[in-house]
Amino acid sequence: MRAADLAKKLRKIAGKDAVLDRREDLMLYEYDGGVDRGTPELVCFPQTTQQVSEILQLATKSGVPIVPRGAGTGLSGGSIARKGGIVLGFSRMNKILEIDIENQRAVVQPGVVNLDLTKAVEKRGFYFAPDPSSQKACTIGGNVAENSGGPHTLANGVTVNHVTGLEVVLPDGRIIELGGKANDACGYDLTGFFVGSEGTLGIATKITVRLSKLPEHVATLLAIYNTVDDAANSVVALTAACITPAALEMLDGWTLRTVEAATPAGYPLDSAAVLLIELEGMREQVEEDADAVIAICQQVGAREVRRAVNETERQRLWMGRKNAFGAVGRISPSYYVQDGVIPRTKIPQTLAHIESVSQKYGLQIGNIFHAGDGNLHPLILFDPRSKEQTANTLAAGKEILEYCISVGGSITGEHGVGMEKMDVMPMMFSEESIEVMTRLRNVFNPAGTLNPQKLLPASRSCRETFNPGHPSLNANEAGA
Amino acid sequence: MLTSSIDTWQSELASIVGQANIFASTTDIDGVRPEITVAPASAEETAAVLRVANDNGLCVVPAGGMTKQGMGDAMPHIDILLSTWRLDQVLHYDPGDLTFGVGAGVTLGHVQRTLAPHKQFLPFDAMQSARATVGGLLATNAHGPLKHFYGGVRDYCIGIEFATADGKVVKGGGRVVKNVAGYDLMKLLIGSFGTLGVITSANFKVFPLPQQTRTFVGNFSELREALDFRDVVRKSALTPLCLEIASPQAQEYFGQAPEARNPDLYAPRAQVDVRPQWNVYVRAAGSERVLERYRQELGVTKEVAGREEAELWQWISDFELNVIARHHNAMIIYVDVPATDVGSAIAAAVKAALDNSCMTAVLGRAAAGAVVVAIIPLAVGPPSAMHYANAASALRAALPRDASAVVARCPLEAKTRFNVWGTSPTNTVAMRAVREAMDPRGTLNRGRFVIS
Repeated sequence: MRAADLAKKLRKIAGKDAVLDRREDLMLYEYDGGVDRGTPELVCFPQTTQQVSEILQLATKSGVPIVPRGAGTGLSGGSIARKGGIVLGFSRMNKILEIDIENQRAVVQPGVVNLDLTKAVEKRGFYFAPDPSSQKACTIGGNVAENSGGPHTLANGVTVNHVTGLEVVLPDGRIIELGGKANDACGYDLTGFFVGSEGTLGIATKITVRLSKLPEHVATLLAIYNTVDDAANSVVALTAACITPAALEMLDGWTLRTVEAATPAGYPLDSAAVLLIELEGMREQVEEDADAVIAICQQVGAREVRRAVNETERQRLWMGRKNAFGAVGRISPSYYVQDGVIPRTKIPQTLAHIESVSQKYGLQIGNIFHAGDGNLHPLILFDPRSKEQTANTLAAGKEILEYCISVGGSITGEHGVGMEKMDVMPMMFSEESIEVMTRLRNVFNPAGTLNPQKLLPASRSCRETFNPGHPSLNANEAGA
Repeated sequence: MLTSSIDTWQSELASIVGQANIFASTTDIDGVRPEITVAPASAEETAAVLRVANDNGLCVVPAGGMTKQGMGDAMPHIDILLSTWRLDQVLHYDPGDLTFGVGAGVTLGHVQRTLAPHKQFLPFDAMQSARATVGGLLATNAHGPLKHFYGGVRDYCIGIEFATADGKVVKGGGRVVKNVAGYDLMKLLIGSFGTLGVITSANFKVFPLPQQTRTFVGNFSELREALDFRDVVRKSALTPLCLEIASPQAQEYFGQAPEARNPDLYAPRAQVDVRPQWNVYVRAAGSERVLERYRQELGVTKEVAGREEAELWQWISDFELNVIARHHNAMIIYVDVPATDVGSAIAAAVKAALDNSCMTAVLGRAAAGAVVVAIIPLAVGPPSAMHYANAASALRAALPRDASAVVARCPLEAKTRFNVWGTSPTNTVAMRAVREAMDPRGTLNRGRFVIS
């Protein structure tokens, strides 16, 4: 079907103003927060589940790819229309449908912005726990697709731990219910299976999420180090001491100086690394843990441990962390952020390895990451106009991931596989495991209409016919 | 089946696991004796056994400690009981990382004994820890009172390995605490009752063992008051490990059965208090200061500590077992509801039992909404199959749409007369399609699960 015919049909389903088809409009939808690009033929903004169902039926019948998209803050190319087709934007399905405080649940549409849900319930003492750095922009539908994390998922878990029910539209247009408000349900946990499936199984049109009780007390600490090793060893020591902070973030010297230049957060410019540690819970417990954390950090070699004395100070410390990716964007034409995970005891040698990769390729690599759960975010700075740098950047990224796997880790902790890491999936999973995952995808998305060529590596024959995406100017403010 | 074909597949199995690991089955499942028991020693052997079974159209029942084999619909015929008892290795344990991996045949008790020297544990206090295996606990999505604070096993199982019906070894997740690579196969396998694959090993994040705990007990004469107290705890800043409710009858099972008394000689020394009491147990962990805060806020007089406390929670974990030990014909129903429906579910259970000449004992995670209902026939006039069916049906009728009420145990005569699984809030067509993709020939637990 020609794009013009398709646009006409989509307008009939979703409304005259719900379809974009001009080149200049489409260009805005050809990238996300990652490095890949792909231009859709059309962008459509459905407003109801029924419309989503009709659009999917139409697309499946016409063999046109559908790529669901929340706010486009994803970091692995999950919402890139790599085979063209229709991008389905969920910005008009952004209603909070129900807030059920007694059951600590909310039912939301996929386009609800993560932070907006927290804002809607925090006066009543609750919040939505997953807090990706892009939470001011990213949508809960996108969080469900990517199983998003964030700094505070160390103690609270990632998105899947906070979703109990879904309404899903399958590529053939069927609308199905999975789970509900109860914690568990008889039968397969398809809700849990669906979360993190990166838009390759179906499109969530209604999401039942858990609301968490706001902690009574919070302590935010900044531990300052003269060497990266001491900071890394502190993480190991804290884990071994069985203290589970709500968040435990690390910034190395280069990154914190870059952050300070953009967002003065109070990180000392002459330090080699800082740990941002947050403790939450009952007042008595938090105070005891804070004392223990200070003692451990000092024992392991912290030069100083500061504590935020009020909410303003706390917000300032966090502002630096959450705006870090934007800060890096100010000084480099582009950067490539990795998302490997390692066992927490391996942080010191992994950072040393990243340093050696940086020297080998002559690339600046900043480290800012969720140290508490071993989720690294090395930021590799490069100029996409240089072919050589671009190639080196991708090679350096792959080398870091290979190292993560070699110490028992994972290729992605929270950004997802998307199109970026599809081809490194075989580093983690055997051919048999990938075959079974493919079989499961085909149960829901047999024709591959929905988000094609994502998450699962293509078979050999397909791979050859496909040009890999090129890293391009990174124009986002989103981070992890 | 012809003798010759039995000989063929049995000898094939022997060549995989060794003759010594194939033996005659000794236990019945719903009155059916499996033809043979096979015990593979690795994921690859498990897969090979399944391939033979699949190729020969056989029916396989995966089994661990046999603590939950009473669940599900009765199967008319079972060829192979696939025992995981030889998958008994601790695969890795790094206390510094708080991660741990074990073979599916390792018992929960063994897991805790391995972790305890490092002051760590798996917050998994399901019943019969000495027998129940990791594989079985995952397959049945078992849980205990600690679910209140730590969540279900889906929240701390970080990796899984299983063998598919067509003989593939598949891995999902990994060994690190945060990981979104690939589909979340842990979620798919947890609670799948062996119908999508045979779990061969699993990785977990483990937790620091609380150094000191205390249990505060609130007594109430009415269910409503008990639930109000639960809500006070839920709305407070307190973060207890467990928040458990027990009906007056349920507390009868927190201990050995009373000895039968000679009514001619027995006279109580003190007056017996027969007022029914609903108990709410709040288990707290922390320093003396933290416990003092609980004491102040809860304002209850009864506090249990030390050995007595450990025993109390053991009885609570093993509640279902104790009921069944005393009443072989009791029906056990697992109810999952949103928190606000816990009260109406319990009330409905009590009424459903009474209407069908039964008593009830109810215990459960009061805030997490996971309740174990025991429907216990009165000694006079043994109930007919219809009584069980009617009681289950009446309870289900009172629950909201997204609730589940699974009959986990009931006499076989009753089981064949009604649907033990009840309805699921999750689309059954989709569930069936997943099952069809993973086990098209119905090799695993044929005819046993909610969708079959």
